[in-house]
Amino acid sequence: MGYLLDPDNWEWVFTGNNARFLLEAFATNVQIAVIAMVLALALGLVLALMAIATLTPVRLAAKVWVDVFRNIPLILLILYLALSLPESVRDFWVDAAPGFLPEALRSQFVLAGIGGLVLYNSAVLAEVFRAGILSLDSGQREAAAALGLTYRQQMRLVVLPQGLRRMVPATVSQLITLNKDTTLVSIIAIQEVVRSGRVLTQTAGNPFTGGGVTAPILQVMIFIGVLFVIVNFALSRLSGRLEVREGRRTAVKKPPVAEPAAA
Amino acid sequence: MINVLTDNLDDFASGLWVTTRLVAGSFVVALVLGTLVAALRVSASGALRRVGTVYVEIFRNVPLLVLLFIAFPGVLRGGVDISPWTSGIIALGVYTSAYVAEVLRSGVAAVSTGQLEAGLSLGFTPVSVLRRIVLPQAFRTVIGPLGSITIAMIKNSAIVGASIVALPDILKEARIVNSNTFQTTEAFFWAAACYLLLTVTLTFVFRGLESRYAIRR
Repeated sequence: MGYLLDPDNWEWVFTGNNARFLLEAFATNVQIAVIAMVLALALGLVLALMAIATLTPVRLAAKVWVDVFRNIPLILLILYLALSLPESVRDFWVDAAPGFLPEALRSQFVLAGIGGLVLYNSAVLAEVFRAGILSLDSGQREAAAALGLTYRQQMRLVVLPQGLRRMVPATVSQLITLNKDTTLVSIIAIQEVVRSGRVLTQTAGNPFTGGGVTAPILQVMIFIGVLFVIVNFALSRLSGRLEVREGRRTAVKKPPVAEPAAA
Repeated sequence: MINVLTDNLDDFASGLWVTTRLVAGSFVVALVLGTLVAALRVSASGALRRVGTVYVEIFRNVPLLVLLFIAFPGVLRGGVDISPWTSGIIALGVYTSAYVAEVLRSGVAAVSTGQLEAGLSLGFTPVSVLRRIVLPQAFRTVIGPLGSITIAMIKNSAIVGASIVALPDILKEARIVNSNTFQTTEAFFWAAACYLLLTVTLTFVFRGLESRYAIRR
């Protein structure tokens, strides 16, 4: 406990650019998370719609996709993509990555990192969405059909707005998981917050990171952990608020108890 | 394809065994800590409840990789001589315990308060009401969710092997096979198959437990 709280071991936070260095790296994590989230949500919705399609091959394709990518450890997927991505693709990204992305996101393994996150999360989110859609009383869709709505209109106007709204809590908890999983790309040498934290601990006295003060790894990692707790806690609070508001507005029955998406 | 497995059967088998032990150890840690924290979360004292909430919010929101850095190199630097095995098991177990606590809490909420009141009026202490009446039923209602947490834990255990803790688990062995044979797709395919073997087995175990013990509400 003495070691943990010793002010000398926390001095690095206030020295030089250390804290800023970590915060900037954390911003990279958030950017990776946002990009992967948008792609995974879109792909997950497509997969969920495919999974309830009437055409058997379409349904089968979605099922295979979901079952394969949901059951492989994400880190295995990311490592495999990084090791097997052809050099041409890696070079292509280094050349073609848009300039507004931070340097860390223009490095060669980024496609593997984001690709792995998207593949895995699209499969998980597809299951969440599908459960939401199926939890809706079939009378809703039958009524929409009886009113002469086309299949697309039934989905867009009746089924999806209600079905997806019920799944907001489960979706948000998966997004929190995704946010945490962005740290895994540090293993394929993308310069995000965990990797930057290790740089800090290894370059005491580096003029770039500022200081001459050692940054002990325990304290650096606790600092990083706190950053994640703050952001993810805010996210889960937001989902709680949304839930209460939706409950008031729509006065629907309580949503089905979603199993907490375990990590 | 198959020869990558047969030629390196020893590596994959030892990886499978390491992952199994890691998951088993972490499961015990997660179950014990998760039960304790769930008990805190449903206790009558507001302060204890808050302690439980803080625990859950911290360990559910911190990346496992960060926990592993804290539990291994961090603790080592703090002067505590900890082995990779101990830190791996503790980090994975503590991380999972937050999810276990949440699930158990929902199981406790599903037990009707009448049972609790009946227990108290028969003279049980609050702790023994929890231990003898509420928790046994709570566990039986949450077998399904506990199963999905355990399966998530198997997948998360791969992070332990890939991180600085570097236990020679399935993923680690697959990377070794890959660097020996340069058969990347095959090595990772068989690693995925090993994980699948574990998750499918556990799915059946939990399905069996569920059909035997679960309380349908």
